[in-house]
Amino acid sequence: MNIIVCVKQVPDTTEVKMNPETNTIIREGVESVVNPFDAFAIEEGLKIKDVYGGKVTALSMGIPDAVQMLKEILALGVDDAVLLSDRKFAGADSLATAYALSLGVKKINDFDLIICGKQATDGDTAQVGPSLAEKLGISHCTYVSHIEEIGSDYIRVKKLVDDGYEIIELSLPAVITVEKGINRPRIPSIKHFKNALEKEVLIWTTADVAADSQLIGLSGSPTQVVRTFIPQYNKEIQILEGTPDQQAKDLMEKLAAENFLGCE
Amino acid sequence: MKMVDNLIRTSMQEYEEYLRDESRLAGTAQSISFPKDENEILEILAALSQDKIPITVQGARTGIAGGAAPESGHILNLNKMDQILGLRYDENLKTFLLKVQTGVLLSEIREALLKKTFAVSNWSQKSLDALELLKNSRTYFFSPDPTETSASIGGMVACNASGARSFKYGSTRKHIEALRIILVDGDTIFVRRGEHKTQGRSFIVKTESGRTIEGNVPKYMMPNVKNASGYYVEDDMDLVDVFIGCEGTLGIITEIDLRLLPHPKYIYCLTTFFTSEDKALKYIRAVREKEEKPASIEYFNHKALNLLREQKKSKPAFSDILDMPDHFHTAVYVEYHGDLEEAVTNMILEASKAIVACGGREEDTWLALNTQTMQQLHAFRHAVPESVNLLIDERRKTEPNLTKLGTDMAVPDEQLEEIIDLYNTCLQKEGLDSVTFGHIGNNHVHVNILPRNQDDYAKGKSLYTKWASEVIKMGGTVSAEHGIGKMKKTLLKEMLGEEGINEMKALKALFDVDFRLNPGNLF
Ligand SMILES: Cc1cc2nc3c(=O)[nH]c(=O)nc-3n(C[C@H](O)[C@H](O)[C@H](O)COP(=O)(O)OP(=O)(O)OC[C@H]3O[C@@H](n4cnc5c(N)ncnc54)[C@H](O)[C@@H]3O)c2cc1C
Ligand SMILES: Cc1cc2nc3c(=O)[nH]c(=O)nc-3n(C[C@H](O)[C@H](O)[C@H](O)COP(=O)(O)OP(=O)(O)OC[C@H]3O[C@@H](n4cnc5c(N)ncnc54)[C@H](O)[C@@H]3O)c2cc1C
Repeated sequence: MNIIVCVKQVPDTTEVKMNPETNTIIREGVESVVNPFDAFAIEEGLKIKDVYGGKVTALSMGIPDAVQMLKEILALGVDDAVLLSDRKFAGADSLATAYALSLGVKKINDFDLIICGKQATDGDTAQVGPSLAEKLGISHCTYVSHIEEIGSDYIRVKKLVDDGYEIIELSLPAVITVEKGINRPRIPSIKHFKNALEKEVLIWTTADVAADSQLIGLSGSPTQVVRTFIPQYNKEIQILEGTPDQQAKDLMEKLAAENFLGCE
Repeated sequence: MKMVDNLIRTSMQEYEEYLRDESRLAGTAQSISFPKDENEILEILAALSQDKIPITVQGARTGIAGGAAPESGHILNLNKMDQILGLRYDENLKTFLLKVQTGVLLSEIREALLKKTFAVSNWSQKSLDALELLKNSRTYFFSPDPTETSASIGGMVACNASGARSFKYGSTRKHIEALRIILVDGDTIFVRRGEHKTQGRSFIVKTESGRTIEGNVPKYMMPNVKNASGYYVEDDMDLVDVFIGCEGTLGIITEIDLRLLPHPKYIYCLTTFFTSEDKALKYIRAVREKEEKPASIEYFNHKALNLLREQKKSKPAFSDILDMPDHFHTAVYVEYHGDLEEAVTNMILEASKAIVACGGREEDTWLALNTQTMQQLHAFRHAVPESVNLLIDERRKTEPNLTKLGTDMAVPDEQLEEIIDLYNTCLQKEGLDSVTFGHIGNNHVHVNILPRNQDDYAKGKSLYTKWASEVIKMGGTVSAEHGIGKMKKTLLKEMLGEEGINEMKALKALFDVDFRLNPGNLF
């Protein structure tokens, strides 16, 4: 079973601060980390490899700095790491990101399953996984909280939905995006650290993956960011007084007055 | 007089919490004050001197030897002296020196240094210039780390606090450049490392009012181990070192110049699990004798690991602890610091050779290469004392008088195996429940005896005394980091002898003739 795990480098969210004037994330002095959801994706890949054998390859698109992150991922026991890095990839929205990743996947070629995080903690759209599956023309399932079973040509997963879960079977190859808590990510061991020291992170440019310049980076990104802002909620708190009966009656009246009860 | 009436409060029922520190030892006091600056301290001292009222100095009350719990008289609480006063770059030391008031908390110093942001409204131009330089330099830090970051810097100096990373960087003492001290009579002295020294064991020091204080420091020899027991002495020593670790018995520290260190660019941490204690002890010897010293070497015996396994099963708060397979018996944590990735990588590879040579396996390791994983390994370490406290709290539900009995003793390097063996044999013989963990790089482990009932408690207490005697015979110390305070006085007497205690008293009398400062501490 050969697995590709998509990993994004993000700013450490415990540290995120917004610039109040531009409403953009202040990145200076903030440590970069593996997108927390992707740590679960890596662990899930390694767990499958522990049982079924095969290979796990980490794939990321990002700045050259992300090599350090990928080296640390190799020390977890991941077999290979690829970084798509080129100025021409910069400014990608989720569509252009999925396109670039799909080229990386095609160049890696030999895979049965792609695992993504549910979402990235900075961009937060949760679109890249499904878009990638569409670009590759394979099936996908989001919000996976457990892998139930893996067969020779299918995978059965538990998908979280609002009021419960669904069990979904996908034919392989497929893309799944995983929830936090699907597993408990391991810590590197010296054994894998030493293996990782022998390995190089592969860096692929736009030319290496023969990218169509119209589909990558800014020019490949139809998303226009008009404005980003921190939402303001106008909350108001009223405290009802009186006997419990009186309070219940007041509450019903107020809810009815605001049309919360669906009747006049 | 009016002014002083505002400063000294006598409504002690409002200030009940100030009668205790983290040792849970509780005392009594008739009044309390919270001075904001030296002038207020002087006013308070003047008012108290008329009736020769005893004074207990308090920092943040996180001490665990009862040093800040008053016996009687007045409580001088220095929490409000919380300003960071300035910064300078020292060309000789090639580092920055930070001047702080005594009440600044360790957490505040850390945060300010990490963010390079300070409240500078009262800073001199020189300090502001140094801050500019700091901002354009790499990150600097203050290395002492007694885990409890709500400790005040004055309390840390008074106790010579230390922590895990003291294995490489030394205790608080090593990072103190100068102290300003108000004596109980209101006179002030200033002592700087390298400038104010003893000759042999004799010294003369001038106060700011022009008086000279002349005398001798004690003649006893210090044990050659990490130590926080009694006055620090040696021949031709820096006077500042007598005041560091004096537990507030000689004077009131008001200002402190701290030496900063460049923060290492790479920190790699490694927890290794061995299948036996013997293998772990061999490994400890191997890593600490390597040329590249770890910053810390910490130890968890199999009972500590078993307690964590139990807590993990039953308490959600511990569920994040990674699974430990059954063959994980004893764990050793080491931390390596360096500025070059290659150098730190090599330290890990060297440690790896030692693991294999001592019968361990490279698979049975947790290696942290980034801050997040390091925090995970640190959380694992903190989980041990936390679990102990939870367990004791549970047992107190049926036996309210139980407390844990935690040792703080250290022995010379040669006696590492001997002391661990002594602890194990005694605990087994008495059938006592316990866990052992701590700073084993310095042969300084905390044995926590966990009594199940009063009988266990009594057995534990007598073991404690027995161990202290044995440790003293081995040339060790009865307290390596928590200090003597009010709780280990008999052990200190055993360690230094009647004569040693008398010499300490003679030194105290030079600075505090009526023994009014911190009565009950040390002797
Ligand atoms: C409003 C908005 C404006 C933006 N503006 C810009 C901009 O101007 N310039 C710019 O460069 N970016 C910009 N971005 C960021 C960029 O669009 C996204 O970060 C990127 O497309 C991935 O989408 P996401 O972060 O929402 O990932 P998600 O779809 O939430 O990620 C899901 C999963 O996909 C995988 N994945 C996502 N990204 C990568 C990657 N790079 N490498 C490997 N795997 C990955 C991971 O497994 C991840 O867990 C913007 C994002 C938003 C929401
Ligand atoms: C959970 C926990 C873990 C701990 N771990 C460690 C550890 O690993 N290593 C370690 O060394 N300690 C440890 N400690 C103990 C404690 O944090 C330190 O001893 C600390 O240095 C005490 O600082 P404080 O400000 O709380 O001092 P306080 O408790 O207020 O006072 C301690 C002593 O210093 C004196 N003092 C305080 N300020 C002054 C001053 N300005 N002038 C003169 N005397 C003064 C007091 O009179 C008292 O005798 C731990 C404590 C806790 C609660």
